[in-house]
Amino acid sequence: MGLIKLKMNNYSNISYHQMGFSFKCKYGSNNKINFSSKFLQNQMFIFDPMKILVIEDEKELAESIISYFSGNGFVCEWAKNTESAIEKIICFEYDCILLDLMLPDGNGFKILEELKKENKNDGVIIISAKDTLDTKIEGLQLGADDYLAKPFHLSELLARVQALLRRKKFKGNNIVVFNEIQIDVLSKEVKVNNTKIELTKKELNLLLYLISNENKVLSKNAIAEHLSGDMADMLDNHDFVYTHIKNLKNKLKNAGSGNYIKTIYGIGYKWQNE
Amino acid sequence: MELDINGRMNKSLLHTVLKTYLIAVIVVFIIVAPFFYFSLKKLYLDDVDEALLLRKKEFMIKQLPYLNQKDIVLWNKFNRESKIFPNERLKKDSLFFKYYYDSLDHEEEPYREINVPIVINNKPYIYSDKMNLVESEDLIESITILFLITLILLLITLFFVTKKVALVIWKPFYNTLQQIEKFEIDKMNYPTFSDTDIQEFVRLNQSILKLIEKNVAIYQQQKEFVENASHELQTPVAVIQAKMDTLLQSGDFSKKQYEIITSINENIARLTRLNKNLLLLSKIENHFYSDKQRINLNDLIKKQLDFFIEQAESKDISIITELNENVNVFSNYTLVEILISNLILNAIQHNIPQGKIIIKLTQKNFIVANSGKTQPIPQEKVFLRFSKTDPSAKGNGLGLAIIKKITELNNWQITYSFSENLHFFTVLF
Repeated sequence: MGLIKLKMNNYSNISYHQMGFSFKCKYGSNNKINFSSKFLQNQMFIFDPMKILVIEDEKELAESIISYFSGNGFVCEWAKNTESAIEKIICFEYDCILLDLMLPDGNGFKILEELKKENKNDGVIIISAKDTLDTKIEGLQLGADDYLAKPFHLSELLARVQALLRRKKFKGNNIVVFNEIQIDVLSKEVKVNNTKIELTKKELNLLLYLISNENKVLSKNAIAEHLSGDMADMLDNHDFVYTHIKNLKNKLKNAGSGNYIKTIYGIGYKWQNE
Repeated sequence: MELDINGRMNKSLLHTVLKTYLIAVIVVFIIVAPFFYFSLKKLYLDDVDEALLLRKKEFMIKQLPYLNQKDIVLWNKFNRESKIFPNERLKKDSLFFKYYYDSLDHEEEPYREINVPIVINNKPYIYSDKMNLVESEDLIESITILFLITLILLLITLFFVTKKVALVIWKPFYNTLQQIEKFEIDKMNYPTFSDTDIQEFVRLNQSILKLIEKNVAIYQQQKEFVENASHELQTPVAVIQAKMDTLLQSGDFSKKQYEIITSINENIARLTRLNKNLLLLSKIENHFYSDKQRINLNDLIKKQLDFFIEQAESKDISIITELNENVNVFSNYTLVEILISNLILNAIQHNIPQGKIIIKLTQKNFIVANSGKTQPIPQEKVFLRFSKTDPSAKGNGLGLAIIKKITELNNWQITYSFSENLHFFTVLF
């Protein structure tokens, strides 16, 4: 893992898609990772980069997303309007497209239609300030895979992207591995050193969320909002996060797993390889 | 309903008109009656006086010159009302009232009498003539009664005419009134006024329609403004949120900096909540959630209960539930979900450590009661937007306003009461 991180830092000033190849270090250095079929077909690529296209007219937001994602091994590109987005979609293949619906030169739905026309199978997550049921339904009907209303936490977006990529790439074999921890997302089975441990639905959700945001500092607010879903808007007390973190920590520790959950004083938590 | 409103309104309008008429008639009667009586009396007296004078004139010209002293006794005998008797000191004509005993009726009767000094055979005499006034009193009485009867008849006629006319004339007015009563600004049901050819009512209807159109436009603008403003706010909030998430990654902070970051984070969350609630309110007002379905409330509450219990436990609050199975309502699922979660979260938010929450569902109502402050919330403030009893509370003062709006939309009722140190919020289906 450390080696990969070092590499990433070395290339961090190079635009990834120009490099021709990059690497994926999503779930640590464990070789048991289920690499994509692409990796198996093209053995010369050691790592398969996850390519993301951010279609967002708000530069500041796009920058934040790109910087947050890049740190976790994603290759990101930015399109600030429909025109350049369509151009990029036609020329390149992306694993995931983050799509803002309100763009200066037209509705984001146009891009969804274009994707359909081009028979592209890119995953699409709509990120929109227009949080209405109608736009949500229309977006999903036009082929979007997920919908995230602004404002959102970057960690939430990253977790959603990871979940989408898992669904898209590893159909039927949706397993997340982090060192000795192995999570079967579909059957909701968690194993530590091949021994099954019992986690509640919330704890499993939390574990996936933490691993998805490896090395990221997660605020208590962000975790609370992730765990409570629609209800998060109404909450003003995030103390319950502490209970879940504590329980998860104990269960992992009792099963012999490493102590990956770091407490960041006053702010929240971080999943970090020891 | 229509008749009831009409009937009630008619009565009150007529009442006012008739009361005015009646008072006016009574006042006029009180003023006029004595005047009328005395005028009549005076007129009659003048008539009597004139008759007496005429009779005197006739006597002076036709009888006096041929009258001898010895004829006086005889003359007196054949004249019942007129008499001649010796004069002692009367110098000139005099007219006066006098009572005489009527042997036929056995009572004193008023008379008008004239005394005239005359000279017969160089001796002074008085010619006296009188007329009974009893008849005149009777006449005046009869006339007065007739006058009163006419007046009463006039009033009765006036009553029926006014009623009839009011019903016909005011019909468009009541129609307008009814339409306005039915009008609700947030339901956009413009009133349709019936045609009328009475100028004032045409003007009234036009003015009301103009007023309503203007108000609806303003209301619409305000609604759109809230919605647009909240939508526009989403993007900058999203940028701040993203920047904060990025900042968090940048490494070591001092304790002081951590505190600032935590505070900023909490307030971004608060801003997000506030904005989302504003959006929700305007969406409810814009009838965004209009599709309805049968909802089993028991299932809906149970589905959310784990989350609430977890929230409550983190604040050391116990939740007691008493849920009747099979309580169904026909409403919008999202809104009912929000209604229930807002009510319960409100009970958690405003609770005290070791407090309790009672959630009760019956066929008729849904009750959430919670311990909390030992003083009741002022009734007029409970469901008001942005009204907070505790300024330091983190709530945004929109939760109960949203609850109120949802109950209104479903024609349910929400009430607040305080007893035995518990705050009761009751939704009546």
